[in-house]
Amino acid sequence: MKCDSCDQKATVFYTQVADGKMKKTALCEACAEQQGVTDPTGLLMADQLMGASPPPESPFPASAPAEMQSLECASKCPSCGFTISDYQKIGRLGCGECYRAFKSEITQRLPSLHKGLTHNGHVPSGLVELEQKHSRESELKKKLDQAIAEENYEDAARLRDELQKITEEEAAE
Amino acid sequence: MMRFSTMMKHPADWMAGHDETTSVVVTSRVRLARNLREVPFPGWAQKSQRQQVLKKLKGQLEKHPAMNEGFSHELSELDSLQKQVLVERHLISREQAARNEGCGSVVNRKQTLSLMINEEDHLRIQAIRPSLQLKKAYELALSVDQFLEEEVNYAFDSQWGYLTACPTNLGTGMRASSMLHLPGLVLSDQIGQVLKGIGKLGLAVRGLYGEGTESLGNLYQISNQSTLGESEEQILDRLTKVIGDVARYELQARGKLMQDDPLMVRDRIGRATGILTYAQIIDSKEALGHLSMLRLGADIDILPKELIETCDRLFMETQPAHLQWRAGHKIPPETRDAMRAQMIREQLQSALPPAIDISEREN
Repeated sequence: MKCDSCDQKATVFYTQVADGKMKKTALCEACAEQQGVTDPTGLLMADQLMGASPPPESPFPASAPAEMQSLECASKCPSCGFTISDYQKIGRLGCGECYRAFKSEITQRLPSLHKGLTHNGHVPSGLVELEQKHSRESELKKKLDQAIAEENYEDAARLRDELQKITEEEAAE
Repeated sequence: MMRFSTMMKHPADWMAGHDETTSVVVTSRVRLARNLREVPFPGWAQKSQRQQVLKKLKGQLEKHPAMNEGFSHELSELDSLQKQVLVERHLISREQAARNEGCGSVVNRKQTLSLMINEEDHLRIQAIRPSLQLKKAYELALSVDQFLEEEVNYAFDSQWGYLTACPTNLGTGMRASSMLHLPGLVLSDQIGQVLKGIGKLGLAVRGLYGEGTESLGNLYQISNQSTLGESEEQILDRLTKVIGDVARYELQARGKLMQDDPLMVRDRIGRATGILTYAQIIDSKEALGHLSMLRLGADIDILPKELIETCDRLFMETQPAHLQWRAGHKIPPETRDAMRAQMIREQLQSALPPAIDISEREN
């Protein structure tokens, strides 16, 4: 068998089974060493990434601008300059903020990759409190909507006050 | 700090002390992918940003109690042979070995924890334990993760969890895998079916350097694919259950083979023993295949039990980079094959009785 990258005899064989599909790669020793990667696709991606040169100067802002929320699928990440076509080409992202910039594009791809769409695992310690607050907040909002729908204004007023308190606490921090 | 040569003199702690629990599941590994907030991922970061991440993480990680007297190097300080040895020991990835400046490797003395800085993500925390102990491996990796989360800000999103360079690692950032030795399923031709079944469960099977589904040395790695939507415990529980099932199928297959066709099994083990004991030139692929049969022989009490440890050590020490490291310089493949054969002969001489009778005895 010949190497997938050149015409030498292939000596390194790599098989990957994922989702019931099998993918085979054959490389000669020199190409395998040169590419130096267990996952041939991962490696090609790395090469492509090297080919796409990062912007010469991309000062990373200390915090992401708030208006990014509205740009659900920008063509370029406002934080790092990575473009959506870079992502489509290599399947990797430029920085954490890219997830927000290319949210709709990424969301489309997630169901084929993962069992769910929401993180259910470990949360870094500093963020546990924040997470709890957020989930309490969304719970209160849901209850408030329900109370209003049921015209239960007494509960609605109490829930509104509770929500306001959380928002004020956040602002104070 | 531990020197490279010191690390090489000591086998990793998961390579020693094998018993019946490692008869099928050789090792369990868990790796966590983590990134720092507000810094582009390594593949997109500028050199200066990578250097900063390296400096920050390397400094913090060296302070972890488990890393006391560990191994900690920038990859540019290591030559290609040293990096290849680390790959063969599963301490760095092949991808990481191809990198240089701004990338680092921190390994604890027992070689159970290995931390890769600026691989595809800013940090990959990897823990290795012997046998089917995914939870133990996870706890070990988590201890480093929790130590670090007090000191640095991770790229984390409340909906998507840990943000990783590739969306395939999103959420927990956790890839858990076990290495299984499955000669029984291969010899009884059931391996294809089992692998297909595992694939259908949404788990991945890799036979490293494996041609077709028959992987080298009958070694297979089973790992989770999905990292988002389930908790670490759920992923580990599911994986542990499937791997436990596969291990049971393997033991059943071995039992059935010995019942239905013991002569064939003994013949395979006997031939492998013969070749390894007398061969003068042997390539890595052939060696792994025969070592696998020897390991099986020791597991099913045809050969001495001590051989399991010898086989597992040889699996690693006969790999190209390990051989060259031992020789002290680069060696062409043909010379390596002779060295490999000699090394195996020598090690087996002390592990096997001089004239071993592998034919069935009547008792």
